[in-house]
Amino acid sequence: MKESLETLREEIVARVGRYVNKEEIDQLRAEYLGRKGKLTLMLRGLKEIPAEERPLIGDQLNRLRHYLEEEIETKLKDIRLQEKGQLLREERIDISLPGSRLERGSIHPLTLVMDEIIDVFLGMGFEIARGPDIEDDYHNFEALNIPKDHPARDMQDTFFVSDGRLLRTHTSPVQIRVMESRQPPLQIIAPGAVYRHDDDATHSPIFHQVEGFMVDHHITFKDLKGVLTHFLRQIFQEETRVRFRPSFFPFTEPSAEVDIECLFCNGTDRPSDQGACRVCKGSGWLEILGAGMIDPEVFHIVGYNSEKVSGFAFGLGVERIAMLKFGIEDIRQFFQNDIRFLRQFR
Amino acid sequence: MKLTINWLKELVNLPAGLKGDGEEGPHAIAKTLTMAGIEVESLRPFYQDPGVVVGLVTEVRPHPRADRLSLAVVNIGDEKLSVVCGAPNVRVGIKSPLAKAGTALPSGAIVKATSIRGESSDGMLCSERELDLSQNHEGIMILPDDAPLGQPVFSHLGLNDWLLEVGVTPNRGDCLGVLGLARELAALTGGSLRRPPSSHPGKVSKVKQLSLLPDVKVEIQDSRLCPRYSARMVSDLRPGPSPAWMRFRLEACGVRSINSVVDVTNYVMLETGQPLHAFDLDQLKAKRIVIRPAGDTKRFVALDGTERELAREDLLICDGDVPVALAGIMGGLNSEVGPTTTSVLLESANFDALTIRRTAKRLDLHSEASHRFERGVDPEGTLAALDRAVFLLREISNGQPVKGVIDRYPCRKRPSPIQIRDQKVKDILGIELSRKEIERILKSLGVKVQARSKRGIKALPPSYRPDLSREADMIEELARLHGYEKIPATLPLIRAQGGTVDPYLRWGRGLRNFLIGEGLTEVINLPFTSREMNQHFQGLWDDQRAPVSVLNPLKQEDSEMRLSLMPALVANLRSHIDQRVRSYSRFELGKVFCLNPDGSTDENTYLAAILHGQREQRGLRTGEMAFSFLSLKGLAEGILEVFGVESRTVWTSDDIPPFLHHGKAASLKWDGLKMGSLGEIHPDICEELGLPAFLTLELDFGKLVQYARIEFKVRVLPRFPSVERDLAIVVEEAFPSQRIINWIKGLGHSIIEDVQIFDQYRGSPIPEGKKSMAYSISYRASDRTLTDDEVNSIHHDLTSKMCQEFEATLRE
Repeated sequence: MKESLETLREEIVARVGRYVNKEEIDQLRAEYLGRKGKLTLMLRGLKEIPAEERPLIGDQLNRLRHYLEEEIETKLKDIRLQEKGQLLREERIDISLPGSRLERGSIHPLTLVMDEIIDVFLGMGFEIARGPDIEDDYHNFEALNIPKDHPARDMQDTFFVSDGRLLRTHTSPVQIRVMESRQPPLQIIAPGAVYRHDDDATHSPIFHQVEGFMVDHHITFKDLKGVLTHFLRQIFQEETRVRFRPSFFPFTEPSAEVDIECLFCNGTDRPSDQGACRVCKGSGWLEILGAGMIDPEVFHIVGYNSEKVSGFAFGLGVERIAMLKFGIEDIRQFFQNDIRFLRQFR
Repeated sequence: MKLTINWLKELVNLPAGLKGDGEEGPHAIAKTLTMAGIEVESLRPFYQDPGVVVGLVTEVRPHPRADRLSLAVVNIGDEKLSVVCGAPNVRVGIKSPLAKAGTALPSGAIVKATSIRGESSDGMLCSERELDLSQNHEGIMILPDDAPLGQPVFSHLGLNDWLLEVGVTPNRGDCLGVLGLARELAALTGGSLRRPPSSHPGKVSKVKQLSLLPDVKVEIQDSRLCPRYSARMVSDLRPGPSPAWMRFRLEACGVRSINSVVDVTNYVMLETGQPLHAFDLDQLKAKRIVIRPAGDTKRFVALDGTERELAREDLLICDGDVPVALAGIMGGLNSEVGPTTTSVLLESANFDALTIRRTAKRLDLHSEASHRFERGVDPEGTLAALDRAVFLLREISNGQPVKGVIDRYPCRKRPSPIQIRDQKVKDILGIELSRKEIERILKSLGVKVQARSKRGIKALPPSYRPDLSREADMIEELARLHGYEKIPATLPLIRAQGGTVDPYLRWGRGLRNFLIGEGLTEVINLPFTSREMNQHFQGLWDDQRAPVSVLNPLKQEDSEMRLSLMPALVANLRSHIDQRVRSYSRFELGKVFCLNPDGSTDENTYLAAILHGQREQRGLRTGEMAFSFLSLKGLAEGILEVFGVESRTVWTSDDIPPFLHHGKAASLKWDGLKMGSLGEIHPDICEELGLPAFLTLELDFGKLVQYARIEFKVRVLPRFPSVERDLAIVVEEAFPSQRIINWIKGLGHSIIEDVQIFDQYRGSPIPEGKKSMAYSISYRASDRTLTDDEVNSIHHDLTSKMCQEFEATLRE
């Protein structure tokens, strides 16, 4: 018995080291540990050996069994690890294939720019007011110090609807509507659509404006310059140069036209028509908005005392800013809604 | 308004920086004007100078071998050149522009020394067309006798010049003349004004209220309409072509050259801003000028040969009873100055701006004169303009001034003094201007300081600045002349006002972000549409509403304001279908308009969307998702969820607008009020519009914003598990699936947590005309784990009751 145990041990040790694949190991396990395995049979035969030898041989057999079981387990673990490693090395996806998803739509460029403008003003503490697109002559013209038969009306070709009403030619009537119903301090913007009887590459019969105004004690032209310069530098670039020059609007006095340096030639101010920048036509500047100190006549019309309050107002064209920001040359593109155009703003 | 730099420089002495003849001077002038509020819209060289010189023709003989050519000898001072010339008007003694060999003409051709049929030619005598000065090619250009031999022609004619176009704002009528701009430049730069030469009428002008011309009388019927009427007479005229310098200036400024007399009136108007008119004196039979409203005079034939119908209030200039001019707008054909005219009555008057404007606008007859009168002409300037015109007529048209002047001035307005308070200047501009600076600016503008006090000064504006009537106007002038760029930029000190959230902005942003996530692209359309489209798509208004008409549409098909966003979205769809796109999903958030029965108008904001084709996907093509009613409904549910109004919104098949397929559409209501509609477009409309089927949705954004829910109610999360049971029943084809859900929920069973429909099936073994609907019910108790027995018993009870209630059979 002792000898055969010794032979078996040597046999097992020799074979365990040799086998590498799962089938061989399974075979090994069956051969020794299976129901009719050599080790199993020997363990079963223990009761036939003398009682005094039994504990020693039993112990040795059990140790051999544990040894074999452990070896087999280790081998199998190695094999599984190898197989997994093999699999991981072989599994490959073409990551250059397109991702699979539903297509997103896009927001209209005018909405994008409008939102940006609004956010800058909200950040400065302005509040939003809105007014009707169909206006009466009083709010669109007369209350803004543009009497009937005044040549200033030629500046704004008007669409008329029934009953003497019209499509507002600017967002300024909201200024009047707000001042009619509220008292200063006021710090308001009024975004919206406006209408002009006009249609070509630089004029659309409808476009969008943001009107803004601020009224309180001691609001001055300095403040107008400060607020608008800050706004333009937020919308364009922090270092953008801004220029204020005199102009005329019946509802502001003094009035100003506000220019920014040309974004396309960086305001190089080239003197000649030859080779001059196409966008600023060589002036080096781009007209961007109109503004001014609210005319005392307008305050008088809405019942404010112009000796006690002062304020400024401005109006800016959203399309104009969008065209400059995005390099769009024809204003009509905004309203043709060609998907190839719109998709560029996704 | 257009003018030239040289013309301007004739009238004002400019400081060194602005004087230069190169590029810098004109650009400095342009910049100065722009920065003072007179925007220079363009600046370009007047004419391109090819370098031709003044030549004197000293000999002419026929070309021996060509009938139509002549051989001329041309003296250009230091040499004599032989020139072959084909012009019929070449003759000894004339001066003409000579292009020497090597000169590049504006056409690009280069003049060469050559031989024409055996005769050598060293240069070329040029026509106006060859120099690109006019279209005249009838002969060589003839220069004035005093043109200096051998000198450059263009500089002699004043053609080395710059053309300036300025945009004059409506308040600055005084700048609609070169003189006004010169005055402005003088004020801005400290330069001095130079009056152009003129011819005074002589001593008799002292007595101004009388007509001193023995045979012409002037009668003003309403002095409000014609505050002043001045006139002079010139005889012995020989109207012919004007000299080149004047013609070129006029034409560059956009005024057609007619003859020397008419040209002078136009020239003086461009120069002084005072419109003039010349009547042929021999055609004024009555010799009695009456300025009156048209009244019963119904018709008038103006210089342009068109007969126009008059309104009673149109102002006329009449000779006795015969209308000879539409005051301030255009002269009459009957008294026009022509080639045979020898004497003229020159009118220099002042008319009421409103009257002129109304007439010009009504007749759509706008002239250089009416443009100026509408914006206000200085009544003090009539005589100076007359004297300037008389001078020029004598110079260029052989005119003999008749002594004396007519000057009726019944309505003289004197400017009122204006108070300028130091404190107010500071309140508006935010800076303190010294009295010295204020007075310097006022003086430069011709404003006279009348009185000075501690608080401020009292000043009198000049007659040519009627726009200066209030303190605010004066403060603007102070800021303008001081320079806007010298006023610092600061951020204001304003009292805080609280502020509110704009619901349209807030919900609009949320909605847009949801929709683009769902694959829709935003469009913005013009709100105009046609009557036909408004009839098809009437929006969500009630039946009493009509569309708002545009009285002056740009196009007939844009003659109404849209009732609905659909027309333009449909037009967008059409243009994309023409481009063969497979997928189309767009939305618009915009205003719609309607007219109420009482004549008032309403506007509202709608959201509309169109879906057509497939849902667009990225990546490998693994199954397409065609848009269906359910995708549209899903979109609508998502929108309602964005606003938190999904639970209170009622879906119904009533009230479906006629443009939708009634079997495949739904309406949305809130408290019985129309909030939206959606569905497949009606096949008849598709057929009429020539479009394939598509899905549309239109919602009342205004109402959504109004009902939007801002708060969320949070429930405690359940502690015990739920048990799911499915059931399928067979019902009639037309049975609305939602009824089962409502019924189960209506039972109010505390352990029924949720019911969902998850499948719909038609076909074998389900009989024809029936369908199988599958529902999943979720049971849950809040205080214990439900046992199977408990759930089975409730579920069994529920299904049998349901089958009874709806006469449905359970599908095993």
